Amino acid sequence: MFKTSKIFFCLLLLFMMVWQLPACYNFFVAKSVDTPFTLYSGIAGEFASLKLDEDKKMHYRDASGKEYTEEQFDSILPTFYYRQLVTDGRFPDSIHGVAVTPRQVQMSNFNMRISPLDLNKPRLGIQQMLESMSGRVDLELPDDAFRITSEGMEFVEMETNTIDRDKSARFTQMMKQKGFQFPATYLSGNPTDRKEYDEGYVMLDATKKLFHVKQTVGRPYVRAIALPEDMTPKHLFITEFPSRKWLCFLTDTDGYLWVVERDSYAVRRTEIPSFIPEEQSMLIIGNMFDWTVKVNRGTEECYYAISAQDYTLIDSMAYQTPRYTIPGLSFTSTKDKFVKPRIVR
Amino acid sequence: MIKAIFYKEWIKTRWYILLALLVSLGFSAYAMLRISRVCSLKGAEHLWVVMMQRDAIFVELLQYVPLILGLVFALVQFVPEIHHRSFKLTLHLPMRATSALASMLSFGMLMMVLVCVPALMLMWAYLQSVLAPELYWHVLLSALPWYLAGMAAYLLTVWVALEPTWGRRLLNVVLGVLLLRIYFLAPAPEAYNDFLPLLAIITLCYSILSVLSLTRFRDGRQD
Repeated sequence: MFKTSKIFFCLLLLFMMVWQLPACYNFFVAKSVDTPFTLYSGIAGEFASLKLDEDKKMHYRDASGKEYTEEQFDSILPTFYYRQLVTDGRFPDSIHGVAVTPRQVQMSNFNMRISPLDLNKPRLGIQQMLESMSGRVDLELPDDAFRITSEGMEFVEMETNTIDRDKSARFTQMMKQKGFQFPATYLSGNPTDRKEYDEGYVMLDATKKLFHVKQTVGRPYVRAIALPEDMTPKHLFITEFPSRKWLCFLTDTDGYLWVVERDSYAVRRTEIPSFIPEEQSMLIIGNMFDWTVKVNRGTEECYYAISAQDYTLIDSMAYQTPRYTIPGLSFTSTKDKFVKPRIVR
Repeated sequence: MIKAIFYKEWIKTRWYILLALLVSLGFSAYAMLRISRVCSLKGAEHLWVVMMQRDAIFVELLQYVPLILGLVFALVQFVPEIHHRSFKLTLHLPMRATSALASMLSFGMLMMVLVCVPALMLMWAYLQSVLAPELYWHVLLSALPWYLAGMAAYLLTVWVALEPTWGRRLLNVVLGVLLLRIYFLAPAPEAYNDFLPLLAIITLCYSILSVLSLTRFRDGRQD
């Protein structure tokens, strides 16, 4: 027994070294890698960035190294700096030959952030479905919550903690009628009243078929969305952008990012090279002409410019983001919200 | 002989066990009272929405209660006996010293279960009346690592208390604190779900460490 305890104590010391020494080293040598704020400029036809130098002076440049003044920089990114341009009376009548108003620019602009932290986390299994057509301007949170079991959809009245059998049956019946096979394997929704409109949920059923499910005037709205034959969806991201152009983004098992258009339910592939949402973060800053897509791939920060019309790749570039940390044992990670032992590089 | 040791430990610690049980139940009851108050003031709907949208579990005040109870229990059970040098008598009973220690630790762990389980049962009983199973299991599974931390605190404190030299005791304290930190790293509720079974096994393994201190104690190691 003494021998066992001695071995266990030695293992404990070894474990502490593998855990604490790299953590201490990484804590003291850690330094932030600053990459310039970068956007694709359709006017300049290349990426443009701004960066603060060591003398705290802001530098505005495009990818070919040409320097701009702050005012010139506003002008080559008119959809991003439209408020400044409007204030200065410099907002153009048209961009790329298309007549635009500040309101149109405001409505078509969007930001979307996809982080591994939002995917790799414990899930509750119960959520709320808002009324998407209440007739009121402001959305209201419902007084029930739902879960999806292998039998169907179940609404629970929160105040009494009892199942609303009528509503549950209505939704289950409609979903089955539309070909939904329970249980759902993936759900994406944004159940908050702090948004302009509600699109309910996009869901994958047991056979990985994509469905749009929402509540309209208390009734179920269920729509099966046809996917390309050779594509298997993996992650769904409901959008609910002010422009109402897209229903959701999704990634497939091959790492492609797809968009589902809201009105036509057309599913179209973007030309962004492989993106793994469980491990990489993505930031999309979009406007009516193009999207700047930033994908953080660990030691590389990749930028892609995508056409907002046909989702083709216009341009790409990358910044190297070297790591100064050493691998070691850790219980937490910047990529998930779980506690478990793992080697972090 | 094991029965006798259990009886000796019971006589020694029974008032503390009663106090620990009251404290443990009291804190759980207070946490449930706060939830009940939220329900009566703002309605159960508010409680559900805050839990679903903001990752709230409403029982955060219980976080360090099992840890403190476990730590103090180990001190109450072992320190007076070591201080009055009567622990040596226990080691001279007609049974192996490790068996005597195992009996004492088993009693301690059993009492920790007795102190912690009613608190969890109280929470379970109340929460299921106002919350859906997904939500009350969310609360209980988030709280479970704190109760495991209580067990770990008990075992690690025994390891430190039995250690006869101050130098090694200090090392054990540092290691113990770092080991206890593992139970409080949760970045979100239910973060430990996958790790809980392994963490429970590791927690039980801490009991082996006391044998090391016991052997050094028996060998008469001194500063």
